[in-house]
Amino acid sequence: MSIAIYLAKRLVFVVPQLLGIVLVSFLLVKSIPGDPAVLMLGPTATPSAIASLRQQLGLDQPLHVQFMIYIGNLLHGDLGTSWQTTRPVLEDLIQRFPATLELVTYSLVLAILIGVTLGVYAARNPSGWVARVTDFYGIGAGALPDFWFALVLIFIFYTVLGWAPAPLGRIDMIVLPPNPVTGALTIDALLAGDIEAFRSACAHLVLPVLTLGLLYAGPILKMTQSTMEQMLEADFSRYEVLCGIPQNLVVRHALRNAFPSIVTIISVLYGFLIGGAVLVEIVFSWGGAGQYAVQGVLNSDIYPVLGFVLFSAVFSLVIYVLVDLVYVLLDPRATN
Amino acid sequence: MRGTLAAMNDPAVIGQGEASRTAPPLIEVRDLHITFPAGGDEPKEVLKGIDLSVSSGEIVGLVGESGAGKTTLARSILGMPPAPGRISAGEVFFEGRQILELSEPELRRLRGRRLSVVVPNPRAELNPLLTIGHQISSMAKIHLHVGNQEARKMALQMLHDVQIPDPERRMKAYPHELSGGMAQRVVIAMALICSPAFIISDDATSGLDVTVQAQVLALLARLAADNGSAMLFITRDVGITAHFCNRIAVLYSGEIMELAARDDMFLKPAHPYTLMLLAAFSHSPRLREAWSVPETGERQEPREGCRYANRCPLAQPVCRAQAPSFNEIEPGHFARCHFPVRPA
Repeated sequence: MSIAIYLAKRLVFVVPQLLGIVLVSFLLVKSIPGDPAVLMLGPTATPSAIASLRQQLGLDQPLHVQFMIYIGNLLHGDLGTSWQTTRPVLEDLIQRFPATLELVTYSLVLAILIGVTLGVYAARNPSGWVARVTDFYGIGAGALPDFWFALVLIFIFYTVLGWAPAPLGRIDMIVLPPNPVTGALTIDALLAGDIEAFRSACAHLVLPVLTLGLLYAGPILKMTQSTMEQMLEADFSRYEVLCGIPQNLVVRHALRNAFPSIVTIISVLYGFLIGGAVLVEIVFSWGGAGQYAVQGVLNSDIYPVLGFVLFSAVFSLVIYVLVDLVYVLLDPRATN
Repeated sequence: MRGTLAAMNDPAVIGQGEASRTAPPLIEVRDLHITFPAGGDEPKEVLKGIDLSVSSGEIVGLVGESGAGKTTLARSILGMPPAPGRISAGEVFFEGRQILELSEPELRRLRGRRLSVVVPNPRAELNPLLTIGHQISSMAKIHLHVGNQEARKMALQMLHDVQIPDPERRMKAYPHELSGGMAQRVVIAMALICSPAFIISDDATSGLDVTVQAQVLALLARLAADNGSAMLFITRDVGITAHFCNRIAVLYSGEIMELAARDDMFLKPAHPYTLMLLAAFSHSPRLREAWSVPETGERQEPREGCRYANRCPLAQPVCRAQAPSFNEIEPGHFARCHFPVRPA
């Protein structure tokens, strides 16, 4: 019951938060130089055609009126139209957001597996060779640019070894994509019982997931290692050892105490990667939401950008609410 | 409870402790040295050759000021000196086995089972995410290999024994929901649930109010006595030891300065440091005056000679030149002093 009240309170704050995010991003996007009308009509357009298009798009109105129009449309579920794809932004995003989400989610799962496992191991044996390797790994993973690492992986596994499929999208061109249900190809393929499509989608996921997973395991590893070291040295862990509690159990209890910090860094990464994976998306021609938004920025196509910001913001807010719920479930002290 | 305490004040009971020293002691610390690395300097020796034994059923008090090495000794007996301390020499025998040579799994089976510890400030020592019922019963599950139901029943009985009100409800409480006194009782329950042969109480009641402190101590002493457990009772408060210790050791700067049966310690203290400790707790202003040493600023211990010489009102030149040995000045009464005080 207290959780329901807590959730309701949180959701009340979501509305002003979203409004603020939309306002700021609207102003930022509007301040990018470049006139969409000029870009849309091309170099041969007459000034009168441009003027009439500007009027049609509402670009001749003052900024606050434009904003109010945008908000009004939002309330009707209209996120505007992209002049590049000439389709409603909502449709475009519903198609592309799951592609990014699928990539980022699998990457994060890999990153968690690597980061938490190595982090716990290194914290348990702080003078062992694994701890030294993880120190090096943490620095290396933070220093490598992801698009460069992606290119290296493509070079090794596609160009030289030929194990990976060509980095051109999410599925082989000759394979028919499954009927979209969730938008995540692996899940849709399984739902459709299409093994061939599933294998193709997985094969295309391997290199981008490796890229993001290996690199973003770095911060998770560092956070796990340092928090676990702290927890294993904490009074309650020492007391457990003095009480003859087996070491595995002591480590498990320490991990539970370290969990809030680890969950926090994971949630921050999750929200970040939705947009932060864009360079990797471009390298693999992923066709995800990040790529879509960057195209929008480059071409003064503001509605895709705003739509993307809105989607990411909602996604991040949902993640943060979930994280808060996890805290409450994990830590009896957090209920107040 | 009062009956038990009275019985322990009975000289006959103390006499038993004396007599049982002819049998092999339950735990025996021999010439234990613990050193801490000190940067580039010479490593600092925190315990400088401790010899101490406790017989079955005996309660030995260990008194000393902060930094004397009390906790280091307690933890070393459990085979885990505080980091980065290192056992540089010495042996600890428990039930005939040398603890410091046991493997980690062997030590683990001993800790909490035969050899348990009551820690101070237990609210920080208990796992914040587990209910106290879980923490107490897991001691029984791990060490006595009993099932869930049985362990729960034992934990509930233990909470009852340590006189926590409404134990059924407290089983589900988390450490942050307990008062300091209650948490102290929980830790005592955890220390006693497996009926250990030896209990180390490491300054266990230092964080509590004086009235609660007295209750918890009486409880601890009674439960240990009911259980037949021997105890090393570590404290900063020499007055507390008067209530239920059979013998008392006074620790100063990593050395035992005086060791005597309780009555000898209080009636015929021989070491000037012991006298100073007793005077500090005394009601007589004259005594306190006579035995308090003005702060000289010269806190450094002499490299040669007696560790206490610089603070000692009776110090002579020889005290700073030559370390006194641990002499038996009367049967069972030892003092590390060139000029032990004789009763007037």
